[in-house]
Amino acid sequence: MMIRKDTLLYKITQLHWFLLLTIIAMAMFGSLILFSAGSSAHDLETGLLKIDARYAMDHIFRFTIMLGVALFVALLPLRLWASLAYPGYALGVVLLFGVEVAGNIVNGSQRWLTIGPLTLQPSELMKIAVPLAVARYYHQVFASGRTSLWIHIVALIMVLIPVGFVLKQPDLGTALMILGAGCSVIFFAGISLRIVGGILVLLVALTPVVYFFGLHDYQRERIHTMWDPAADPLGAGYQLQQGMIAIGSGGLAGKGFMEGAQKELEYIPEQHTDFIFTIVAEEFGFAGSMVMLAAWAIAIVQGMAIAGSSRSSFGALAASGFVSTLLLYVGINIGMVIGLLPVVGIPLPLISYGGTAIVTVMVGFGLLMAVHLNRANDMTLRGLL
Amino acid sequence: MSRDWKNLFPSRRMIFLTSGGVVFLGLTARLAELQLFRQQEFETKAREVRIKLEPAPPHRGTIYDRNGRELASSKRNFYVTLRPEVASIARDKQTRQAEIGDVIERIGKLLRLSDAKKRSLLQDATTPPAHRDVLVADDLTWEEFAQINVMAPELNGISAEVGELRSYPLQAAFYHTIGYVQKANEADISRMVDAELAAAGETLDSPEGKKRAAAVRRLYKHPAMRVGKQGIEAYGEMALKGEPGNERLLQNATGRVIDRLPSEDLAGKPGADVVLSIDAELQAIAIRRFGIEAGSAVMIDIATGEVVCMMSTPSPDPNLFVSGIASGPYKALREDERNPLYHKAYDGVYPPGSTFKMVVAAAALETGAMKPEDQVSCPGKAWYYTRFYNCWRPEGHGVVNLHTGLQKSCDCYFYRAAQRTGIEEIAKVAKRFGLGHRYELGITGGKSGVVPNNEWKLTNPRINEKWYDGDTISAGIGQGYVTATPFELAVMVARIAGGPQMPDPHMIVGGIRVPDNTITPMGEFKPGVLEAVRAGMFAVTSEGGGTAVRSGELDPEGKLPAPYTNARMAGKSGSAQVRVITAAERDSRGRAIANEKLPWKLRDHALFVAFAPAENPRYAVSVIVEHGGSGSSVAAPIARDLLAEALRIDPGAKKAFVPRPRDVAAAESGKRPT
Repeated sequence: MMIRKDTLLYKITQLHWFLLLTIIAMAMFGSLILFSAGSSAHDLETGLLKIDARYAMDHIFRFTIMLGVALFVALLPLRLWASLAYPGYALGVVLLFGVEVAGNIVNGSQRWLTIGPLTLQPSELMKIAVPLAVARYYHQVFASGRTSLWIHIVALIMVLIPVGFVLKQPDLGTALMILGAGCSVIFFAGISLRIVGGILVLLVALTPVVYFFGLHDYQRERIHTMWDPAADPLGAGYQLQQGMIAIGSGGLAGKGFMEGAQKELEYIPEQHTDFIFTIVAEEFGFAGSMVMLAAWAIAIVQGMAIAGSSRSSFGALAASGFVSTLLLYVGINIGMVIGLLPVVGIPLPLISYGGTAIVTVMVGFGLLMAVHLNRANDMTLRGLL
Repeated sequence: MSRDWKNLFPSRRMIFLTSGGVVFLGLTARLAELQLFRQQEFETKAREVRIKLEPAPPHRGTIYDRNGRELASSKRNFYVTLRPEVASIARDKQTRQAEIGDVIERIGKLLRLSDAKKRSLLQDATTPPAHRDVLVADDLTWEEFAQINVMAPELNGISAEVGELRSYPLQAAFYHTIGYVQKANEADISRMVDAELAAAGETLDSPEGKKRAAAVRRLYKHPAMRVGKQGIEAYGEMALKGEPGNERLLQNATGRVIDRLPSEDLAGKPGADVVLSIDAELQAIAIRRFGIEAGSAVMIDIATGEVVCMMSTPSPDPNLFVSGIASGPYKALREDERNPLYHKAYDGVYPPGSTFKMVVAAAALETGAMKPEDQVSCPGKAWYYTRFYNCWRPEGHGVVNLHTGLQKSCDCYFYRAAQRTGIEEIAKVAKRFGLGHRYELGITGGKSGVVPNNEWKLTNPRINEKWYDGDTISAGIGQGYVTATPFELAVMVARIAGGPQMPDPHMIVGGIRVPDNTITPMGEFKPGVLEAVRAGMFAVTSEGGGTAVRSGELDPEGKLPAPYTNARMAGKSGSAQVRVITAAERDSRGRAIANEKLPWKLRDHALFVAFAPAENPRYAVSVIVEHGGSGSSVAAPIARDLLAEALRIDPGAKKAFVPRPRDVAAAESGKRPT
């Protein structure tokens, strides 16, 4: 039977199923790990099997909802998202300003904005909105054929405005993510490698200055802790140290599903959120860690392939920006858990428990799939907002 | 530009993927380092020096007598624990069992543990989870403790610890009232989880409830933690135990606690101290006075309602139970025919016998069924309805009235009085005298005797029939369906002596509140009723022909200070049959077989209730000697001696002791490391 090309059903058959299945598999693996996070094969108190599926059920529930949202995003025309890029960015900046003026303080940091019944974290929205807006900007610039270094400087300013607001909250992790995603689009847009190299050298040179003058005390402490976790055995270093013990003691094959000992002792705070990778590594060992990394590598390579296949520069750049965001998420989260990076509050997407990151990532995957569906469309400027 | 960019983009993607590859390679390298090359190190570290947050059992509240003497306190306890995960790190079950068994064998030799104990320890230590401390032995001597401390480095998983252990300095004297503590079993733990959840208004469905339940479980599984099993220890568990704190322990690679880190910020709250109205000295005298007899005595201060003595004998030493009693000795206690485990004063239900005659007398006077001067003749037995009812004296008492009827305990008089008054009125007065009620004293157990009437008999599932007229006749002399506990009898005599103004009886005067709102008030009697009953009781001990006339004198030498100089007691004897006397058992003169000729188990219970001083009553006592025979010759002298001692000591003269609020630091000082 032939399916007519203008129907929704045809569009669904044309989805990037390989990527979609990778995502679903990872989320299911995530709920398995979260099931283990709440449960234990030999409970500390009773010695019996203890089962708590609350985290896992919540995770599946959220993922299912967000999978629907992702498909919705994927199946709408990419032109719509390109049109919404600037308004979305503008709204994000306004909301960030709103947080600055009237945000709620949670854990000593001002990230949440309450508007009526809604509680928003605008900084999270910007992880998607910034690369989208910058991609939209380059799309227009390339069409006009202009060329100058100033083009990239304007793009950089577009990135730095929200980053500045987020840094002020203060939320170093998210600020770095937005900066990384935005700058990656500038990089993909073809800024001269010499300039990129120059900036990198400058950054390395400025590191000590930032370390001593640009950071909050607690941030400096976290960096210090990374080098010497034993210096602060009751604080963040303790968490890191116990996390590394969990990972290291997992060995090649791991201790087995629900057999992780460290979680039972409640040694690792936040283990079901930012430190979820410690359970993967402890219970499934090096083999499990490699499978986890491989799954992310597959998702990233597929994402770059989609970027390469897009005829429109908006699609290619937006896809590249989101894939960079993914790489940042995975690299920073696992890097901090295994002691390569300072501890910043970045979750492992699709695996960690929590509602915000999964929204960002699934909307991103939706856009990625939209780029894939619309890869043949070169998107003329006419009619774009 | 657009064209240029199209050419540029693939190389940018390659740069990105290459740097992504570098990142992943870095992560892989680090993971390989941690998980492959340094696995051994982390595996050891997982068991190595670590800070363990250990629940610290709070200091248990002390229980004092009214003079501040410690009845239940905490002593320093040296104990030894075994941590299975440190004793053996083998994953294979057989090796684990062998390694842990070896440690138990060696510590067992040191502490001379029995084979049965070693077997149960091994069983316990090889059941998961392995990261928890198993109690090996406690209440060790200093020498044993020191020796283990020296040996510990060679014994993997063994720790010598210092904590607190419950101790009962007066040993057997308060077993029944205070009870004892023991290691909590599963049933105790779920009971305490329910109690804690109920107190906090939480359920297991909420996360807070689950958390609380887990904390309670964890606390009661601590090797040094005990739970109240009965008596005040069980009733007051929530108040006595205090709020648990936490302690930061630094453990080394073998799981031995190498240091205790400062934990003041995590300290718990010590439990509440409880003060009893009982006078320990009087209690001890009562126990000595009973000697080898089995029985109980309850004494109440009429002016305050405070219970100043409540004992049941024989009685085991509660200290035997704290570290677990072996099954042999426990079986012996259970099977002893003198029932040492049984609180005879509070849980024992006996026919009150002739001590019930005060109730019948008061009811007859109150309703006007009998006037004090009404006479009844006693030929030794009397015919009612369908059969003869015997008087205890086959020769009969001649003509008696209320006064002489009480004095001589003439059954015929009370048959008649009961018949005229009717059971409903008798039951009302019995309730007003305090019978038929379980008094809430703040200890577990407790029974109420039966104050029967028509409704009771109809609704009692085991009888289910109407009240017969003959039942009233038996009830007239405290037999048949009537029963009472020694505690109820003490309340009865205190109310007779003290009148409606007597405060409600209670035993706990500080630490926990024990409200009892269901006590029947006594209410006013017609003028002259109580006086007539008291005069009859005075005649029992002090007028010629009284059944206990030899026991009236409390201060023959006039040594007691005023107002007790030359005091006398007033009382009433009773004998409770423990079997039905058939006609065949009576001799030709209608006399039953003498108690001394019967086996101990079949002899009557001897009862005596009394108050003193007779003119201005202050203390009321009830004494029961199980299978003692005659109330007037066995129980009355005991009651006399106890009242004489009570007047000498006069516990009610001083207000009860008030403990000083305990500060947390002082409570913690008993638990310093060595």
